[in-house]
Amino acid sequence: MNCPMESHDPEMLVAYAAGQLDQEAVAAFEEHLSGCPECSATAADQMAVWQALDVWETPSVSPDFNRRLYHRIETEMRLSWWERLTRPFHPLVLRRILPLTATAALLLMAGLILERPAAVAPATKGAEAVRAEQVERTLEDLELLRQFSAARPGNNEHRDAM
Amino acid sequence: MGVVAAALDYDAELMLRVKDGDGASFALLLEKHRAPVIHFVYRLVQEQAVAEELAQEVFLRVYRSRSSYEPTAKFTTWLFRIATHLALNWLRDEKHERMQERLDDGPPDFPAREVSDRRPSVEDQLMYQARLAEVRRAVAGLPEKQRAAVLMHKYEEMDYVQIAKVLGCSESAVKSLLFRAYETLRARLAHMGRI
Repeated sequence: MNCPMESHDPEMLVAYAAGQLDQEAVAAFEEHLSGCPECSATAADQMAVWQALDVWETPSVSPDFNRRLYHRIETEMRLSWWERLTRPFHPLVLRRILPLTATAALLLMAGLILERPAAVAPATKGAEAVRAEQVERTLEDLELLRQFSAARPGNNEHRDAM
Repeated sequence: MGVVAAALDYDAELMLRVKDGDGASFALLLEKHRAPVIHFVYRLVQEQAVAEELAQEVFLRVYRSRSSYEPTAKFTTWLFRIATHLALNWLRDEKHERMQERLDDGPPDFPAREVSDRRPSVEDQLMYQARLAEVRRAVAGLPEKQRAAVLMHKYEEMDYVQIAKVLGCSESAVKSLLFRAYETLRARLAHMGRI
């Protein structure tokens, strides 16, 4: 027989370790093993793995498994046609779409808060108020200057002549 | 094809009766396949509560699909395809660092092994727990598809053809998956058998 390791077909090794070969195949393979150290070592390791995996037992099934299942089936039977139609999307909605929507809504709200005109408005109003005050003061200053220049002696003569 | 498959597969025949409204046939299918499905899913996800929840979903989907059921494949192939799909999706969603941490930190979540002819000593128990933790860690360390293939091959005793149908790949791909998986397990677990 061909060497399973050389032919890169270790199916025989796995089947041998799993006890899935018939007697004839076992005899042929064991004859090969006796002359092939590589296959012999790999077969021993594979059998060791097979035994190690036997250690893994499973817990017993919960006694109310059937009751819970039939309860779910009954609940399902009572669903409306619309609920049955949209049911496949529920896990998707809960797991994917809902978090995405919530994130988008939060980002939108944050954006609105940061870009809110009210936040800018007081500064603009203040600037406008300052500007109006400055204009007013300048006008007053101009008026004072005008009065001052009107009160000068030369100007008095001119006023008198008038 | 459908009629032939039903004739060959008693489970498919039962499922066809479920399709016709026979609740007792569903109960028979549940009784027969409940434990193998839960155990398979348990070994994949390694959490008992999750395994039972996913197994419930498997049987619920079987029941839901009764009206459109056609026996185009072996019933167990269809059943394990649903189970594998749900379990692998759960694994992908959960990303198993958490489970790995639990394996490292806590004891396994199932009852201590009973030895029939004598009561196990504390030392036996500790030895068993250590070996079990090592096996669980080694299997959990395999890539998803390799893990599923090994579990079906070792514990469900499925042949390559059926595993290929469950996983939706070719028979040669299954051989390759199993070869790589057992190679990894040999490196990690072979020493246990030599003790």
